[in-house]
Amino acid sequence: MSKLQKSAWFNLGIVTLGGLFAMLCFVLAANRIEKGFNYINVILCLIMMCIFVPVALIIHKKKSYEAGFDEREKMIEQRATTLSLSCSIIFLYLASFIPFVALGGGNVIKVIYLPVIFICTAFTGQFIKSMAIVRQCALEEEDG
Amino acid sequence: MGSDRLSNNIRRLRFENGQMTQQQLADKAGVTRQTIIATEAGKYAPSLPLAFKIAHAFGVPIDAVFQYENENLSTPSQNNSTEDEK
Repeated sequence: MSKLQKSAWFNLGIVTLGGLFAMLCFVLAANRIEKGFNYINVILCLIMMCIFVPVALIIHKKKSYEAGFDEREKMIEQRATTLSLSCSIIFLYLASFIPFVALGGGNVIKVIYLPVIFICTAFTGQFIKSMAIVRQCALEEEDG
Repeated sequence: MGSDRLSNNIRRLRFENGQMTQQQLADKAGVTRQTIIATEAGKYAPSLPLAFKIAHAFGVPIDAVFQYENENLSTPSQNNSTEDEK
């Protein structure tokens, strides 16, 4: 497995695990808030850890992996980055407009959902990028 | 528009150069083994610097490693014979 594939699988695992844990903490926090739970700050800190620790790991590993990319791997990564940016923009558009359409123009949603939308967009972009890299490498191996 | 086809003799040249492995060629050219595999299979067209590095690794000119074919392009020998007929 090349460094590019290792990097992609690592990012994919980290983003998936971090996203699942963040969603779990968010659901627990929402459930506890309704029952009058007072340790909301602790739960919000856990959610932030589930988000920022994966981001820090990905950035740290990205720097060490990219140093070893050759021209073909850089081309694959550029294609994957372009695809992930396009998908992130589409996701952000849909995540912003679907609640607006679903709830109607006169209703509002809580401001806490805005950072959730942005973070989900970032996670989606990273997920799509990793999947694109893994898929491109797999396609070459299938044909060759 | 004619079809473009870039072919190579990397596999044959590897065997002719002391059974060179793909990893050895990759180390000499400064790329990964996967890049050499993709280039050899015709799935990846290398950049000009990489093509020169591969040719240099075999000690042959670049056109001994890579060949380019296009239906619309004529070779210089075909152009000369057409002018002689005129």
